[in-house]
Order: sequence, then structure tokens, then C-alpha cells
Amino acid sequence: MSGIPMEHGLMVASALFAIGLAGLMVRRNLMFVLMSLEIMLNAAGLAFIVASTAWAEPHGQVMYLMVITLAAAEASVGLALVLQIYRHFRSLDVDAVSQLRG
Amino acid sequence: MEQTLTSTAAEQWAIGLFVLAVFGLCTFMIVASWLLGGRSRGREKALPFESGILGTGAPRQKFSVKFYLVAMLFVIFDIEAVYLFAWAVSLPESGWIGFWAATLFILILLAGLLYDSRTGALDWAPQPRSPVDSTRT
Amino acid sequence: MPAPLPLLSLGPFALVCAAAVTVLLGIAWQRMHTVSALVTIVGLLGALVLQLALQTPDSAETPLLVFDGLSHFAALMVLGSSLVVALLSHTYLRGYTGPREEFYLLLLCAAAGALILVASQHLASLFFGLELLSMPLYGMLAYRFQSSHSLEAGLKYLILSAAGSAFLLFGMALLYAQTGALDFTGLASEMGPWALAGTGLMLVGLGFKLSIVPFHLWTPDVYQGGPVPATMLLASISKLAVFVVLLRLVLEVPTFRDEALSALLAGLAILTMIVGNLLALRQSDLKRLLGYSSIAHFGYLLVALVIGSRFAVETAGVYLITYLVATLTAFGVVTLLSSPCRTEEASNLEHYRGLFWRRPWLAAALTVAMLSLAGIPFTAGFIGKFYILALAVDAQRWWLVAAVIAGSAIGLYYYLRVMVALFLREAADASRAGRGGHWLNDTIVLVLALLVIVLGVWPAPAVDWLAGLNY
Repeated sequence: MSGIPMEHGLMVASALFAIGLAGLMVRRNLMFVLMSLEIMLNAAGLAFIVASTAWAEPHGQVMYLMVITLAAAEASVGLALVLQIYRHFRSLDVDAVSQLRG
Repeated sequence: MEQTLTSTAAEQWAIGLFVLAVFGLCTFMIVASWLLGGRSRGREKALPFESGILGTGAPRQKFSVKFYLVAMLFVIFDIEAVYLFAWAVSLPESGWIGFWAATLFILILLAGLLYDSRTGALDWAPQPRSPVDSTRT
Repeated sequence: MPAPLPLLSLGPFALVCAAAVTVLLGIAWQRMHTVSALVTIVGLLGALVLQLALQTPDSAETPLLVFDGLSHFAALMVLGSSLVVALLSHTYLRGYTGPREEFYLLLLCAAAGALILVASQHLASLFFGLELLSMPLYGMLAYRFQSSHSLEAGLKYLILSAAGSAFLLFGMALLYAQTGALDFTGLASEMGPWALAGTGLMLVGLGFKLSIVPFHLWTPDVYQGGPVPATMLLASISKLAVFVVLLRLVLEVPTFRDEALSALLAGLAILTMIVGNLLALRQSDLKRLLGYSSIAHFGYLLVALVIGSRFAVETAGVYLITYLVATLTAFGVVTLLSSPCRTEEASNLEHYRGLFWRRPWLAAALTVAMLSLAGIPFTAGFIGKFYILALAVDAQRWWLVAAVIAGSAIGLYYYLRVMVALFLREAADASRAGRGGHWLNDTIVLVLALLVIVLGVWPAPAVDWLAGLNY
């Protein structure tokens, strides 16, 4: 650990998470929504790495491997769904896709 | 507080000077070339510069769906390799149990690959579309 | 730690995974719908029998998983529900024109994920199980990709579930930063600001998956849009497994029992009960209505979580059984009346007007399910609600008691509305009759309905069995 305290690393991760969350809520385009999700997952990954370094332990790094696996799986399932949605609606706008009401 | 602030400033003044110098140099280069350089206009000048090659076609080109499919499969199988790296660095510790576990892992991946190739997900070349094909993507 | 015991306890999980790989290879070899379904059913049945044969092992453990009474109970419920869903999916998918076999593959993967989730005692296995459970559900919900509603349901679930996962993971990372441990016992060691923030974020993440009230917005749309078997799986094993793991977290990790968090949870429980029931009042779609009803039911279940005693585990067990049986019956009837060929599934309440005069047995089963969900005496639901009330009264949480009673009173109205619709006399409309399915399918639903009544009239064996599980 090179002098940077764990708290600072966690702060950066929190900021990243907040950016992703804001993007998720504000963006209307599905592609950007998926990207925001990736940012949130990466923020969690960063926090794991920071904590793992602070404790000088490998467990957090193993968790990071699982996080990127999830991110990859999420991205490909998401992309597949987005393709089908584009075929159907000719649009990637979240509001256009959202039809179910009640 | 005052003491520490001045001492920090004394230690870090070089960085501040460096930052100032960078901005100054950039500004100087832009302003000087704008003042001294010649100007010319023309139709050719307005084209986007692609190292001398003229751009063709529209930028909003449609990609084949297969392109995305291959990308998705690549991402998935690529990530699975990460687990093998983790196994590789802990090879002596995990021993034979680790070996058999990794074998099982690879075999399941192989089953997935077999499935992909049998369902036609790996046929990259676009094929003439028939009624049967259009149902699956 | 005896070595062979955990291997045996992992047997059901291994069987489910083996069935999944077999189905995968089967599809690669040749697409055969009935064979895939058969492999799935045999695999799940084998796992169920093996789980039953295991009895309750005396807390066999691995670093990641624990096999105690709670996980034994939950695994049985997961396997039983998956079996029912697999059996009914076969009927449902017969009318589907696209590829059908992958549905079973996804179902088996989801069941395997739920099995891991209910036994996890480590954040890594919790995360792994949860994702193995959710990921196939995206595919299952969007399975009828020709229908825009199904696609929308899949996408909504994907986005909100992924957001939930991100919250959960970030919470885990903060907890890990505070304690330096990932196993539940290690997490107990320390409290601090980061741990508290992490616990809160984890609760948000799990709350998304359980559709607790501020995070419930996806539920009705997803329930309505998805194909019925997928919705059924979502309503049964997904909710059950997430609830069980949350219960385990609350019992084993002290930060989850923090005063402020506990008060917050109690508030959320009251909100969930009231809002879920109120929103259900105006629904004209049976699947949507069941979605809101499931929100309300998990509000009742949160009471057990808030109190978190030894008796609370038993209560949660009783309630989960009664909820599962009634929900499976209700969705089973919807499945048997639906067909994936039409763009509209038989989910609008209009389809159920006068059902009794066309398919009397199915109407009777649906009536029993509704009575049980409403908590009428002599059905299973009453026993569950009685346990929840007894628990809340015993702990002297009067606000919770009041909310449970108010929620049930509101609930009575919309459940009754469904029942009344079933018995309305109407000119017989042949097009709405639904296909006459195989007799076996009707039998499954009827057996489930019978189980609802048996559990309601004579609950002693089930309750004794639950009390006997060592936790």
C-alpha cells in the first residue's frame, strides 16, 4: 500500500458509483443505461480492489474476477435484448419501449 | 496551520511552476501559429482529413447482427479464461483437486462451444435468408 | 469437518447442474422438446429425492456453503417449485413456434443458483448464487421475443436487477473494507461507518430482488409481460431464495440487526404491506394483481425478518410454504389457460369471467389459491398469517400487527373480486375456453390446490417438521 489511505480509494469508488447511478436514472438511451450499469459494477470492483490492497489479502481480488464476469455476462445478455428491442420498436428510447401500464 | 501551509507551498512550488509552464507553452503555440501562419480557403480544405484518403459512404453504417453475436461470444469466452489464470497461479496449492475442477470447468465450456457451433451461432458468413433462419438469431 | 459429508450434501446441486449440461448437449445433438423436458424433470426429481434422503445433516459445512435445517428446507422448496414449473412449462411451450428447449436449460440454471444461494454463508457464494439465479431469468422473461411485452419485461428486469446487483456488490465491498472478511461469521467482527453503509446498500440490493416497496416498481410490469412459467419461477424460487439468504444474514451478522436499520426495516415492512395491497386494488390483469399481491406478502414476511428470533425462522418457514403453494396454484391455472401463440396471454381478468362454467376444476383451484392468499381460515394462507400475527404480538410490535391486519383487510377485496369473476354467468365463448391440456397438468394444479386445503385444515405435520429442523 503506497501511502494512499483506504478511505480515499473508497471515496473515489463511491463517486464512480454515484456517477453510474445518476447516468442510470437520467439517460433515456438504452445503450447509455447499460454503460451506466457497467460503471456501477466497476465502481464496486474498484472498491473490492482497494479493500483487498488495504488488508493485503487476495479475497477481494477474487471477488473482482467475479464482478467482471458478471459485467461481461450482463453486457452480452443486455446487448442481445437491445438488438431484439431495436428490431421491434426501431428505437432505443426507454420511454418508447415502456408500454406496460396499469 | 499557517506553518504547514507555507512549508507545503515551499515543497511543492516546482509542480505549480510546471503546471503554469505547460499551460503557457500550449497557449503560446496556438496563439503564435494563429498570428504568424498563412491562411487559405478551398473546397478541399473543408473535407475531413483522413491521411490523404477520401472518405466514402455514410458514417452511420449498419453492421450485420452476426458482428454483435461474435462480439458477445468473444466477451463470454474471453472472461472464462480469467478463471484459468487464477487456477494457473495457484497450481501447486490447488493440487489434483484443482486440476480435476479445472478439467470439469473446461469440459462444460466445451459443451457450451459445441452448443454454439451446432445452433449456428459461429457461422460468421452471412447466408441467404430462408424462412427457417429468420426465426433465430 | 468431515470430508465426505459436504460432498453428499452437494449432491442435489450437482445433479441439477448435470441435468443442465445434459440438456445443453441434447440440444446440440438434436432438438427434441419432450426429451429435454424429461431430462429436466428427472434431474429435478432425482435432486428432490436425494435432498429428502439427506434428512437434516448436522450442519455440514464448507468455507462457502452451510447445510443446516434452513438450507435443507429451502432447497426442498426450490426443487419442488422448479419441478412444478418444469412440468407446466411443457404444456405451455408446446404451442410455441420458436426454439423451446433452451427454456429448460435456463430453468435448471436458475434452480442451481437458488440452491447455492440458500446454502451460502459467504459473500462470494451469495453473489454467485444470486447471479446464477437472476441471469437465466432475464432470458426466460424475454423468451417470447416476438412479443414486445415479453421483451420489455426481460429488459426491465435486466436493468433493475443489475442495478440491484451493483448496490449489493458495492455494499459487500464496503463491508469487506471494514472487516477484511467475506464470510458471514467474519463479518460479525466489527462495526463502523463503512460497515453500516455497506449493510444499507446490501439491503437496498436485496430489496430490489424482493421488491420491497421503494424498489418495487419493476414487479408488476415484469410479472405481466413475461411468459407465465418464467413469472412463476420469479414469484416462487427467486423470491424464496433471496428471502432465505436475507434471513440468514440478519441472524448471523450483527450489523444487520443494528437498531436504526431494524427500525427502518420495520417501516419498510409496514409500507410494503399497505402500498402493495392498495396498488393491487385497481388491477384488471391477473398477473399484475398477483405481482402486487406478492409485494404485499413479502411485506408480511419482513415482519419475521424484523423480529429475527428463533421462532421467527419457524414463522418464515411456515409462511413461505403457504405462500409458495398458493402462488404456484394460481400461476398454474394461468399457465394452463394461456398459450404463447397469441400475443395476449390469458392474464386479463376478462378471460376469467365465468371460468367456472367452462373449466370447473381449474376455477375451483384458482378459488382455493385466492382464498389462501387472502388468508381465509381452512386454507394454508390462514396458518401462515396466524403465525406472523402471533410472532408480532409476541414481540409486542403493535404497529406491525396493525399493518398486517389492515393489509389483509384490503387484500380481501381484490382477491374476492377475482373469485366473483370466476362464477359470473356469461354466454359461453368457445374461443376463451383455452386448450384442453393433458390430464396430468390439470392434476398437478389440483394436487397443489388440495395441498393448500390440507395445510390449512391439518397443519400439524408440516409445522412439526419445520420445528424439528435444526437451525
